[in-house]
Amino acid sequence: MNGYFDFHRAYSIARKEVMHIWRDPFTLALALGLPVMLVTFFGYAIDYEVKDIRLAVSDRDKGPAARRFREIFSASGYFQPVETGPAGPVAMLDSGRASAALFIEPDFSKKIKGGGRVTAQFVLDGSDNSKAAAVMGYLPGIQRAALARLAGAAPREPVSFETRFLYNPELNSRWFTVPGLAAIIIGLLAILLTAMTVAREWENGSMELLLSTPVRPLEIMFGKLAPYGALVLAGVFFVYLVSRLVFGVPFAGSHLLYLAACLLFVTAALSQGLLISVITRQQQIAMQLGMITGLLPSMLLSGFIFPVESMPVFFRYFTMLLPPRWFMAAARGIILKGADLGELAVPFLALAILSAGMLALALKKFKTDLEP
Amino acid sequence: MNLTLKAFVKKELTQALRDVRMRALMFGAPIIQLTIFGLALSTEIKNIKLAVFSGPGDAMFGRVADGFYSSGWFLRAGHAPGEDPYELIASGRADAALIAPAAGLARSAERGGGRMQLLVDATNATKARAVEAYARNIIAAQAAREYGARDDAALKFDVRVLYNPAMESSMFLVPGVMGMLVCLITIILTAMSLTREKEMGTFETIVSAPLSNAEVLLGKTVPYILLGLADAALVVAAGYLIFGVPVRGPLWQLGLAALALVVTTVSIGTFISTVARNQQQAMLGGFMFLFPAILMSGIMYPVENMPRAVIAAAYLDPLMYFVRLIRNIMLKGGDVHVLWANLGALGLMALLAAGLAYKRFRQTLN
Amino acid sequence: MNAAPALEVKGLSIKFGDFTAVDNVSFSVERGEIFGFLGANGAGKTTTIRMLCGLLEPTSGTAVVGGLGFGDGGRGIKKIVGYMSQKFTLYNDLTVGENLDFAAGLRKLDAGYAAGRRRELFEFIGFDRPLSTLVASLPGGVKQELALAAAMLHDPEIVFLDEPTSGVAPASRARFWTLIRRITGMGKTVIVTTHYMDEAEQCGRIALMRTGALIALDSPEGLKRSTFPGPMAELDFKGAPAEAFICGLEKAAGLLELSPHGMRWHAAFSDRAAMAAALAGLPPTAAMALINPSLEDVFIRLVEGRER
Repeated sequence: MNGYFDFHRAYSIARKEVMHIWRDPFTLALALGLPVMLVTFFGYAIDYEVKDIRLAVSDRDKGPAARRFREIFSASGYFQPVETGPAGPVAMLDSGRASAALFIEPDFSKKIKGGGRVTAQFVLDGSDNSKAAAVMGYLPGIQRAALARLAGAAPREPVSFETRFLYNPELNSRWFTVPGLAAIIIGLLAILLTAMTVAREWENGSMELLLSTPVRPLEIMFGKLAPYGALVLAGVFFVYLVSRLVFGVPFAGSHLLYLAACLLFVTAALSQGLLISVITRQQQIAMQLGMITGLLPSMLLSGFIFPVESMPVFFRYFTMLLPPRWFMAAARGIILKGADLGELAVPFLALAILSAGMLALALKKFKTDLEP
Repeated sequence: MNLTLKAFVKKELTQALRDVRMRALMFGAPIIQLTIFGLALSTEIKNIKLAVFSGPGDAMFGRVADGFYSSGWFLRAGHAPGEDPYELIASGRADAALIAPAAGLARSAERGGGRMQLLVDATNATKARAVEAYARNIIAAQAAREYGARDDAALKFDVRVLYNPAMESSMFLVPGVMGMLVCLITIILTAMSLTREKEMGTFETIVSAPLSNAEVLLGKTVPYILLGLADAALVVAAGYLIFGVPVRGPLWQLGLAALALVVTTVSIGTFISTVARNQQQAMLGGFMFLFPAILMSGIMYPVENMPRAVIAAAYLDPLMYFVRLIRNIMLKGGDVHVLWANLGALGLMALLAAGLAYKRFRQTLN
Repeated sequence: MNAAPALEVKGLSIKFGDFTAVDNVSFSVERGEIFGFLGANGAGKTTTIRMLCGLLEPTSGTAVVGGLGFGDGGRGIKKIVGYMSQKFTLYNDLTVGENLDFAAGLRKLDAGYAAGRRRELFEFIGFDRPLSTLVASLPGGVKQELALAAAMLHDPEIVFLDEPTSGVAPASRARFWTLIRRITGMGKTVIVTTHYMDEAEQCGRIALMRTGALIALDSPEGLKRSTFPGPMAELDFKGAPAEAFICGLEKAAGLLELSPHGMRWHAAFSDRAAMAAALAGLPPTAAMALINPSLEDVFIRLVEGRER
């Protein structure tokens, strides 16, 4: 390897890059601020359990049973009854002042008392799907509670089941989002920052200057990328600390394997950033391409929030080309399930192949560009 | 139109549109992203790998299992006889396992407790929750079939879903994503364009011309407002044509909402560009605005469901008002109150942002 | 238009915070003159020019440019001056035509007038490529000439050129200076900054600046005369060790300036007698010749010399 790669030359480039980062408060702020922001947002702000759904009630019965029926909704903790305006519940949905509406017919109490059958109309705002789907999920529970309290007859259930949630028994959404944040942070920072810094060197001609020295392309790349790799890993370490100490996310697997997964994914992300910069050579385009091929896939197609398995067939295969998908699988496997190397073989191998492929492409393009 | 403004519009548009890659990014990328959102992402959980475990000859349990597989949500996960269900889930070969009671489902049901066990991989909490909800429905339906129609419950719900009866994710995601894309493109373009002129030195030429500050500011913003509006129109058309997202409200409302958003984001982008010293800083500055703006906008997570402090912050998010507006206009046909309240807020933000940009801009010039 | 000087500057100063970038500068420039600013980087040349173009507001002092003051925030001045900044002023990603159209739009020139001016200026700079050529694809010298044309599209009375030839090939530099002379031939005034001595030689008058102050102002010949009233000798030691002699010479009475020029040394003296005395001990192998001081010598003595 000697002659092809000189560590000292790479080191001096890396040192220059560190100075750049250090003197640029924006880069530092984002590199350190983004993990904090994401952790706060996904740790505190987002709760996948939808609560406090504003429910407009049109009670045309006003009898005791109707009142108790309404109480069941508010007591569930999911619904928050709101005052219905003169225009009626549907107008409340139109204007977004309520997300659901309940209609109680005039003879509700009488029918219940007489042991008759009643149907309550329930109208949902489908323009916000995530909410609507959650509300639909709550209705069976409300129905059972209503039957028990109003009709005094809990339905006999000859066949039932009990659920055991493995790895996250309380279905704590933080356990699932916060470990995934590492993928977003690496995907965003590593790809974007490297794509832009290397593109900047091209744009203002300093790449030519570097290349006119005896420094080899591989050394330039290593020197430029290593500081960003370190910065990104610092972000990941921060997320790790917060998820363990603040959110109490368990760590079932091996730390060494997790570190290996992070390093592999960082390599893949840096290679991708490099490839983008070599192709575009212009900061503005590099950035846009970085967002489209880096940020969006990490957030949307990696399984971070939207499970890959629920996607249409084409996308299930397409995501195989995306490093964040593999990292996400590996990270969740290690952290929550305690996966061993055998179970991680596929994601690890995929990450390695993808990094090698992108790096090779970048180097090839880099070299062909140098020849006149 | 003022000669200078005309020259600026022509110059900026030529620069932004000359490069094929730039054109592709500006007009191709939004379509691709929209397609990903519309096609690939679904809030509906599907293709859950379910393994079933039962003793030999448990016909009733077999029918329950069939109920799962024919629901469309579950896939059959095979396993070797005698394999441990936990092991199956740990290795990722199954997402869930349904285990029959040891005595057989029918027999234990007769004895009054036909309890099956459902093991769910809760690595993804949302998915696990959905799996349980599906199981509840499927098992209840199967029980009804086994023990005669139980449709005689004393109280039933008649559920109607308004605006999006089929509960298609694309209906809900696409309008929000439109706002996100327009916001993204305008912020990035404006934040970088002025910074690039400063970096290159061409900005000196502009300021050496006898123009008022307002003329220079308009010259650097109006072209991007036009581009942003063109992108907004493109994305709405794509949403309508590709995903059949309806436009139930009047187009002028949509246009007004888009204009207010674009003016706000272009002003914010310009503001960022006056602070940033180079393009990298401009981009990072853009991100510091975009990231929280997108997360708090309600595109993916309902704003009402967030803690109070976050909701308070979301009121400063122009994208949140736009998402409310566009969902209301496109899916609900436009409600007067929603329109004017949110448009008013967004318009106020546009004025504020433009004023701030103008103030900062004047300082940079001098 | 009128007989007033092109530029009348009195006590011009500008401060950025505590830092005085330009300190109490006064001078005037006649119409039709080539007026050069010479100075090290950071001496305040560019800042002075930017003030005179109406881009910066002076902290104190007055400047009358083409008979106009700063009363209107410099907009009147901006109308009658052309400015070519140090950095490249055209857009690489636009064509020649698009660049000039934009320059015309910035000045609100109507299309017919702009097209006429464009033809005149193309002829003036000898530009004969198609309008649809991308600026990025032009050679450096041609780009610079085109930038000059863009700065002169509105027919300014006074043209400010801030290091117009930095990074341009020597042949193109000479061509560019021919253009500058022809501009003044049309009765316009050119204010130019440079750090090339051969270019400074071509200016009618030179203002030497150091750390924000104007330290000398004269024609090139006048500057040489006033800086070096006595003779100047060029010493060539032909590679022989000369440390001891140089050290002695530095202390000689009547020595005004001693500076290395490549392998040779330039020594200036107050008069011939002082020179004869100081050079008496010159090693026999060394050669000595009397030379005329160059602007570079002036620059070294005035700008660098006092900083010792």
